[in-house]
Amino acid sequence: MATLNLQNITKSFGASQVLKGIDLAIKDKEFVVFVGPSGCGKSTLLRIVAGLEEATSGAIVIEGTDVSALAPVDRGISMVFQSYALYPHLTVFENIAFPLRVQKLPETEVKSKVAKAAEILQLTEKLQLKPGQLSGGQRQRVAIGRSIVRNPKIFLFDEPLSNLDAALRGDMRVELSQLHRDLAATMIYVTHDQVEAMTMAHRIVVLNAGKVEQFGTPMELYHHPATRFVATFIGQPNMNLVPAKVLGYDTRGLAVELDGGAQLTLPVDGAAAKKGDRIEVGMRPENIHLGQGLSMKVRVLERLGGTSITYGHMDNGQRFCAALPGDADVAEGQTVDLSINPADCHVFDASGAVLRRLMAPALAA
Amino acid sequence: MLMDRYNIWQKIGIYAAILVFLTFILLPFVEMFRTSLSPMSHLFHSPYEFWTTEFSFQAYHDMWIKVPLLGRYILNSIYVATMVTVLTMIFVIPAAYAYARLEFPFKSISLGAFLAVNMFTGAVLLIPLYRVMQTLSLLNTYWSMIIPGVAFLIPTGIWLLRGYLEKIPRELEEAAFVDGASRIYTLRRVVLPLAVPGLIVVGVSVFIGAYAQQYLFAITFNQVREYQPLAAGLFEFIGYQSVEWNQMMAAALTGILPVIIVFLFLQKYLVAGLTAGAVKE
Ligand SMILES: Nc1ncnc2c1ncn2[C@@H]1O[C@H](COP(=O)(O)OP(=O)(O)OP(=O)(O)O)[C@@H](O)[C@H]1O
Ligand SMILES: [Mg+2]
Repeated sequence: MATLNLQNITKSFGASQVLKGIDLAIKDKEFVVFVGPSGCGKSTLLRIVAGLEEATSGAIVIEGTDVSALAPVDRGISMVFQSYALYPHLTVFENIAFPLRVQKLPETEVKSKVAKAAEILQLTEKLQLKPGQLSGGQRQRVAIGRSIVRNPKIFLFDEPLSNLDAALRGDMRVELSQLHRDLAATMIYVTHDQVEAMTMAHRIVVLNAGKVEQFGTPMELYHHPATRFVATFIGQPNMNLVPAKVLGYDTRGLAVELDGGAQLTLPVDGAAAKKGDRIEVGMRPENIHLGQGLSMKVRVLERLGGTSITYGHMDNGQRFCAALPGDADVAEGQTVDLSINPADCHVFDASGAVLRRLMAPALAA
Repeated sequence: MLMDRYNIWQKIGIYAAILVFLTFILLPFVEMFRTSLSPMSHLFHSPYEFWTTEFSFQAYHDMWIKVPLLGRYILNSIYVATMVTVLTMIFVIPAAYAYARLEFPFKSISLGAFLAVNMFTGAVLLIPLYRVMQTLSLLNTYWSMIIPGVAFLIPTGIWLLRGYLEKIPRELEEAAFVDGASRIYTLRRVVLPLAVPGLIVVGVSVFIGAYAQQYLFAITFNQVREYQPLAAGLFEFIGYQSVEWNQMMAAALTGILPVIIVFLFLQKYLVAGLTAGAVKE
């Protein structure tokens, strides 16, 4: 059982507060991804969990024990760094064996543990090479090898794939998910690549400016973003946000008028909304299809084969993007009529908080 | 690379500048070598003659007879400089590491103070140092030349090595720390092996410094002939009647020969070390 609880973690560097009270409960064997824009404090939080950085206040609890005062190795964690942090003067074997050498394990035990790690990571052929002679993906695997020989309870990864090219990143993503299954360990993974987050995570922590915006499964984040920030951060292309005004609320939902003039009745919980309130209606580009009600002048058209993405603006100048299925019959410069199923719309109040959707798709388990 | 291409005039300019520079540096050595080959009679010939048919290596033979302890002096020089280098490095490595990586009170002030101390040349401090040596009963021992040498070279050593250690990525040490390695273990197994080019550069410059400054300490703190380094021993070529210039130059050249040979071997590291970390590898 390797659970991790963060209790009201704050961190300040001098006068600037980088983490503003983080509370998280991470379950045993869970794969949790921290995402967020650059500078939001992801690495800082991970380094605090690792014990490389001391929290200004708060507690880190692993398996029910407060480890805040312990050294990294006594916390039972291991970490893979973005730059791999391999020792260039040591062979792959010695790099992987490093934590075992520190523990002064007998040679036979070192050999068998390194051999096992090398086998899992397909590095057996490379053990006598130096890191400089390896490809990026192999270096990454050596770094992972070094972290698994110690059998830590919790693995920490700080953007481990960001130095790899796109194709390799895809492969490594699969390998890491596989590794997580094989090791049955708790993993925390920092990235700012939302594809990595969505595909690998059991649950995602969205951080923004030192606070947790939302902690939930990928599909929760996608279908029920708690805030405007999460809504625009998750999903590609980004969600459209159309300013609107509340007309009223009844059993059918929230009646709104978009700033462009169109009127919609959205099935959301609008009990708190008052007539005349300013809100924003979020529409994912992939939920929009050809139809009636919204119109947009297409400036740029990207045909990806499976989808055709149009960028442009609505009559009142509002920027808009739609991802239409297949080779949709549109052209650059053209004005197209679009529509959206009201159940697919998200509504955010003036503070950026969401009004709960009442007819969202059921979440896959 | 394209940007490394120079046109013919730029090349001529570059080589001309190198020529002027090398002439200034090497001319004294050429003159030393010429003097060492010339017989005494030719040296005082007027008008000055650069070339003669009488060149011979006679002085390289006679010098050992004229100054019987010459071999000993050369070894003393190397011994003192080596001891100074080894001791200095023992002090400099942990200190430079601390300045490169740790946070402690008065860090930058003390670092600045080291530099300030360096501005006092040994000469200013000779008399107080003499009293210190006397109190410690170190006068007329090898230590009287080694200890001040070490003391004066530590500050420069720290400054130089700190620069190299700072260039080693911090993540390497953090990775070792996460794996349970202590500071000392990390220093020994990760930092120092990666700092080898830097260590060689610092070691060499400390050695040169020690070689150059031992003269001052030798003539002040040491009266024992057997302990004198070469620079002090060369005085013995100055007789009451005449100075054996050719033998003196021959002895000086012979004395620095071992050092030059070692440097030729280390040259590759020196060049690598001086540019290490300049580009992302
Ligand atoms: N040692 C430090 N001293 C002062 N400020 C720091 C220090 N480390 C981080 N910061 C600041 O803390 C903030 C968060 O940094 P952090 O590295 O955690 O961001 P991040 O979310 O990992 O960003 P990225 O995606 O770019 O890696 C930044 O504004 C950074 O400038
Ligand atoms: Mg980061």
